[in-house]
Amino acid sequence: MTTHVGIVGVGQTHHARRRTDVSQAGLVREAVDRALNDAKLTIDDIDSIVVATGPVLFAAVNQPEKWVVDAIGGSLKPVVRVTSGGGTGLVGALAAYYQIAGGLADRVLVVGYDKLSEGALQYSISTLYDPFWGREFAVGIMGFSAAYWRARMDLLGHTEEAAAMVAVKNRRNAMANPYAHVKKEVTVEEVLKSKPLAWPIKVLDVPPISDGAAAIVLSSERMAAKSTDRPAWIRGMGYFCEADNAPSRSMLLSEPLAIAARRIYRAAGITNPRRQFDVVEVQEPYTCFELSYYESLGLCAPGQAAALISSGATQLDGDIPVNPSGGCAGANPIGAAGLVRVIEAAAQVMGKAAGNQIRGAKLALAQSGGGWANLRGIAVLSA
Amino acid sequence: MTQNRVAAISSATTELRVAWDGAQHIDLISAVVSDVFKGTGLDLDDVDFVLDSGSDVLDGRSISNCGFLGALGAHHKEESRIEEDGLWAALYGVAKIASGSADVGLIVAYSKPSESDVNLYYASQCEPFYQRPVGFDHRAASGLQAQRYLTSHGLKELDLARIVARRWTDAARHQRVQIKSVPGPADVLASKNVASPLKSLMMSRPVDGAVAVLLASDHIARRVSRTPVWITGLGSSMDRHSFSARKAGALEACEVAAQRAYRNAGWDSLPKPSLAEVSASSAASELMVLESLGLAGSGRALDLLDEDNRSINLSGGALPADPIMATGLVRLSEAMRQLSYPDEYGLKAPSSAIVHASGGVGMQTHCVATLEV
Repeated sequence: MTTHVGIVGVGQTHHARRRTDVSQAGLVREAVDRALNDAKLTIDDIDSIVVATGPVLFAAVNQPEKWVVDAIGGSLKPVVRVTSGGGTGLVGALAAYYQIAGGLADRVLVVGYDKLSEGALQYSISTLYDPFWGREFAVGIMGFSAAYWRARMDLLGHTEEAAAMVAVKNRRNAMANPYAHVKKEVTVEEVLKSKPLAWPIKVLDVPPISDGAAAIVLSSERMAAKSTDRPAWIRGMGYFCEADNAPSRSMLLSEPLAIAARRIYRAAGITNPRRQFDVVEVQEPYTCFELSYYESLGLCAPGQAAALISSGATQLDGDIPVNPSGGCAGANPIGAAGLVRVIEAAAQVMGKAAGNQIRGAKLALAQSGGGWANLRGIAVLSA
Repeated sequence: MTQNRVAAISSATTELRVAWDGAQHIDLISAVVSDVFKGTGLDLDDVDFVLDSGSDVLDGRSISNCGFLGALGAHHKEESRIEEDGLWAALYGVAKIASGSADVGLIVAYSKPSESDVNLYYASQCEPFYQRPVGFDHRAASGLQAQRYLTSHGLKELDLARIVARRWTDAARHQRVQIKSVPGPADVLASKNVASPLKSLMMSRPVDGAVAVLLASDHIARRVSRTPVWITGLGSSMDRHSFSARKAGALEACEVAAQRAYRNAGWDSLPKPSLAEVSASSAASELMVLESLGLAGSGRALDLLDEDNRSINLSGGALPADPIMATGLVRLSEAMRQLSYPDEYGLKAPSSAIVHASGGVGMQTHCVATLEV
């Protein structure tokens, strides 16, 4: 990682369950305008654009980057779309990072979005499964996730109460996030009593479905000063996968996430993540996943996630705050969600978090992932 | 150009068939992923990352890369899906290796349009407010481009038929494309009307297939490859979505992508490249691409045929075989083969090549790479 690359501008929409006032193109434009404005740049300053969205079935426009390019003002620039399920926002940032680090561009705009109100989400996700084996009994991603949570309850002690604490924490944090659209505090008891969807997953363990977009501007070191004297430097970023089909995976620990952490921490000089990171943003599709991520990311030892959340260490005032933005519990525009985690982590080390700024945050970790819980990545950002 | 020199050291393709009905996606993918290592001394353990191109829509499957990760050899590696032609995935791979963070990258692209509806694949790219309601699609866009091109340059449908016949003849010669019989110009003109003036044989023929390319850093490439093919320049550009807002009678994004690639390669004034492998979705757009790349003057691309020029699309190009999403990466693979084994193609000591890929309705986006040996 010889060329330093920094995040010099960030922007996101005010996410909502349903944005009927804008098309996908308009939604993207809102986030892009904010990110460019934040970076004190115009689209003319941008060398290249990466668009990241969830699966195209989510919103029924194939290769939608070819449509939204007009709204961004990006025509005749290099524009490419990357997609990797729920983690696509981080994957987009990663592609942009390498365009700069590899010397192909100085400034790259990344925009991630999904307009989930325009498609049938769980139906779309069900088409992830093999058409010959699995799709006939697949019901979205929830049943699969519930089965593995149940296994982690039995073997690692990831209890329903511990997961409920994640819901309580993230929903409380979302109250201060101006971009979140779910703003209602809940108690552990309410979570436990909420309607089971695929037990042990209950309604209040589940994030909302959102329309939203997010954008960042990445810059080479030599061009960064025009935008800010305090970029969020990318110390390491990677996205790893696990190929096995569900029946042969343990899922007690997220293997691809553990690999990503091991590799990227080494590159970024992280030897004690719990002590070194000032703040962490994770993309938790269900509350149970946040617990699993604590362990895969090395914030605690395997089997200690329930103890970690119970200790309050991951609360705003704890020693390792996780999701001060509220995470996906506050807003969940899937194709943007990974990029929103990067934005929230970057804003923390740039000292301009919109909601719960962690005082003096210098080193942040962002996590993202997708697929059938087999695609996982992280970014390490520093002031 | 980039920070560190990057080479394409090996490639593998399946036969390109109208329908690989005896094979699933994973069969096509794993065939090229195992073949691509042959003769390199490398294996999957040496691969630092995998980048793949395919289409959820053509595959009929969301996040379709998820189901193919094992076949892609990606297990426990870095992997990303670039939902565009595989040449864009190669561009990403070059940048990653050039940054110094990786040494060996596996680029894979595949397609099984025989299991899908290609017209819907393109029509569903049109934005839903102004274009879809009037039925605008790739065929309409291609027909309008062809009409304009023929009219502007005083050319005839027969001219398009001639280039089609030549490409199919070349493809048949090298036996990597399934061809039952080579159509002559009369057959092309007699084929079904698609979008006037284009006949069905003037459109690129969708085929099934897969392609894999290994990219490597300088020090790996020089050790493992007899003839590393250096990727010296890269450029891409996406045109406006609104078809009526595009520059009429031109492929402006192709021109811009080419200029970027040549500048990137340090080709100040375009030296005559030894060969070119270009993509096109119709016979007319192939001529437009050749002109946009600077290989022929405006309206003069057909002369390349008359001069008995032996350096353009010797593989046959995309007209006889268009494995959508893989077509451009196949062009890279074919150009590598021609640079490495020039005798097979009647080429004399070729030193450079231009590789071109495109995507979208009416070829909205373009990617150009320059190769040197």
